[in-house]
Amino acid sequence: MPLLAKARHVRVSREGVCVTEVQLRSVAKRFGDEVAIEALDLRIPDGELVALLGPSGCGKTTTLRMISGLETPSAGQILFEGRDVSGVSVQERNVGMVFQRYALFPHMTVEKNVAFGLSIRGLPKSEIAERVAEILGVVQLSEYRKRFPSQLSGGQMQRVAIARTLITEPDVLMMDEPLANLDTGLRGEMRRFIRELQQRLGITTIFVTHDQVEAMELADRVAVIFDGRLAQYGAPDRLYRKPASLNVARFLGATNLVPGRLRDPDLVDTPLGTLVCPWRQGQTGDAVHVMARSELIDIGTERTAPTDIEGRIIAREFFGATVSYSVACQNTHVNVTEQARRMLELGAPVWLKLAPEHMWIIPE
Amino acid sequence: MPPTTSPDARARLWRAAQLAPVLSVLVLLFGGALVLALAQSLGFAPWFGVNTFPDPSYFGSLWGSADFWVSLGLTLAYALAATGLALILGTALALALVRAFRGQRLYKYIYKLPLMIPYTVGIALAVLMLGNGGMVSRLAAFVGLIDSPGEFPRILNTHYGWGIIAVYVWKQTPFVALSVYAVLLGIGRDTSEAAAILGANRRQIFWRVTLPQILPGIVSAALICFAFNVGAFEAPFILGGGYPDTLPVVAWRYFNDADYTLQIQGMAVVVSIALVAGLILFAWLALYRWQERRMGRR
Ligand SMILES: Nc1ncnc2c1ncn2[C@@H]1O[C@H](COP(=O)(O)OP(=O)(O)OP(=O)(O)O)[C@@H](O)[C@H]1O
Ligand SMILES: [Mg+2]
Repeated sequence: MPLLAKARHVRVSREGVCVTEVQLRSVAKRFGDEVAIEALDLRIPDGELVALLGPSGCGKTTTLRMISGLETPSAGQILFEGRDVSGVSVQERNVGMVFQRYALFPHMTVEKNVAFGLSIRGLPKSEIAERVAEILGVVQLSEYRKRFPSQLSGGQMQRVAIARTLITEPDVLMMDEPLANLDTGLRGEMRRFIRELQQRLGITTIFVTHDQVEAMELADRVAVIFDGRLAQYGAPDRLYRKPASLNVARFLGATNLVPGRLRDPDLVDTPLGTLVCPWRQGQTGDAVHVMARSELIDIGTERTAPTDIEGRIIAREFFGATVSYSVACQNTHVNVTEQARRMLELGAPVWLKLAPEHMWIIPE
Repeated sequence: MPPTTSPDARARLWRAAQLAPVLSVLVLLFGGALVLALAQSLGFAPWFGVNTFPDPSYFGSLWGSADFWVSLGLTLAYALAATGLALILGTALALALVRAFRGQRLYKYIYKLPLMIPYTVGIALAVLMLGNGGMVSRLAAFVGLIDSPGEFPRILNTHYGWGIIAVYVWKQTPFVALSVYAVLLGIGRDTSEAAAILGANRRQIFWRVTLPQILPGIVSAALICFAFNVGAFEAPFILGGGYPDTLPVVAWRYFNDADYTLQIQGMAVVVSIALVAGLILFAWLALYRWQERRMGRR
């Protein structure tokens, strides 16, 4: 990899791959009076794939644009490998960006699009041709090299955009909802493709999405952003099982969020009765929510333990592999999902088992 | 089922109805006039008591005189210079306008002003400002650059055509800017930002990413400006350097001559203008098509 030696903000890892750690220190961005990012602190470890997850308009694209240098932060610092990059121009940051709408050059063929970054750097023609051929092979577009972007499908354009970015060997790769415009089948394929490529090249990658499944599947870590603030940052399974706030839990698709009051460090009074869940924080009387993931609740037709909660099935949805029940217990509803090995009847009385280790308490 | 009006036939009928008004104007008025002009320039003018059709002598005497070629040269030179300048200035203006800056809204109003002001007013302004004893020369004398306004070098009414070019550029720069600006808004800033991230500097972005995308807009703006400049009459008539005049002025003089048979000679001039302008515009479009094909488009 000849170009890598020239790159500025890199360290060579043990595997011989160049890596860059990206850090945001209380970065803020205002557009006139409107605050897009309030204050964002984020450390993206080198070589990791981090997903920025959040609802539309929360500032994901703005964050990427600031990291790439297209936008200047109103306050705070952006560091690559510990060095402030505020004085480094877009051209010199050596980052890569796959845009939300690809931004391919419509007047250039696939080949020319991909070669652009290298031809700007003035590399010899033969070397450019060689590397273009190589990367087109990687993204499986060799036979489309003479086509124009308007003659490609969404997934193909996507891959051209990725190839065009990767060929310049960026220190940091950013992708802005790269899969948003693709159909489900292609999306899965591209997801695997991106994951594999990222692992092979070990580039620090920041990936924007508002699809939580995508974030879970792809990322080493997920940063959840609400209204320009970091709501939670951590490994996908941690976010899923142990969300720090109600908003994060809801955004990650939690359906059973039961309000309650802390009675003891591990007892919570809720409309479902007193639940046992491990919790070592807060004080007696604190208002909390108890989250129980629908797939972690066992449902049965017989009572097998005194802590089982009685209910009645009031709705049933069949998803093929799984089936989801809405169960009325006392005066709340609980959603339960299980493998579709059996079908319980509507109106049937059932017993729910909420295991303490599968519940999570969210403070107000 | 009566096979009268299938949806297909109705669509065709509707399309014909939409095209008919424009087509009839083009074919009858414009096409008819062109044929008539050609016929007249070849000696068909029974209303003057002249009918020697087909008689190439009018063209012969016109094209045989050296002055005609000087006139043609002047006409083309003014038109080309003005078109080129307006293209460069207008494109630069459009590029500046798509970037956000202070006072942008006001500027967006101001730059369009010349478009709303008639040519004749522009010409009058040029006389006021650039003429001998005009504002510029008075100012120069006032500041002390020259002793009296009369010493100011002549700008108007010379064969360099500064005044003519100035008026055309003044009027057409906003026109070019307007059309290029619309194209620029359409292509957005995504591609130029992508190019910047890939390492391209401002110059490279302009030549390799922006220009190729706005080229169709520039080409058609150039076409319209040039066609107008070649055929325009008022500016060279008032601001030009006198004999030999530009071709439209030559034609006007023939038409206004007491000897009305000279109108036939005038027609030959008009047809010559049409021929030359048509040839140049055709070549321009052919060049553009060739360029597009070379890049692999179309
Ligand atoms: N150039 C701009 N001028 C003014 N406001 C802007 C500008 N760019 C973004 N914003 C605002 O900043 C906020 C964040 O925008 P951003 O594009 O980062 O959202 P996003 O998280 O990427 O959303 P989406 O998921 O819809 O792409 C929005 O409220 C948006 O209106
Ligand atoms: Mg966005």
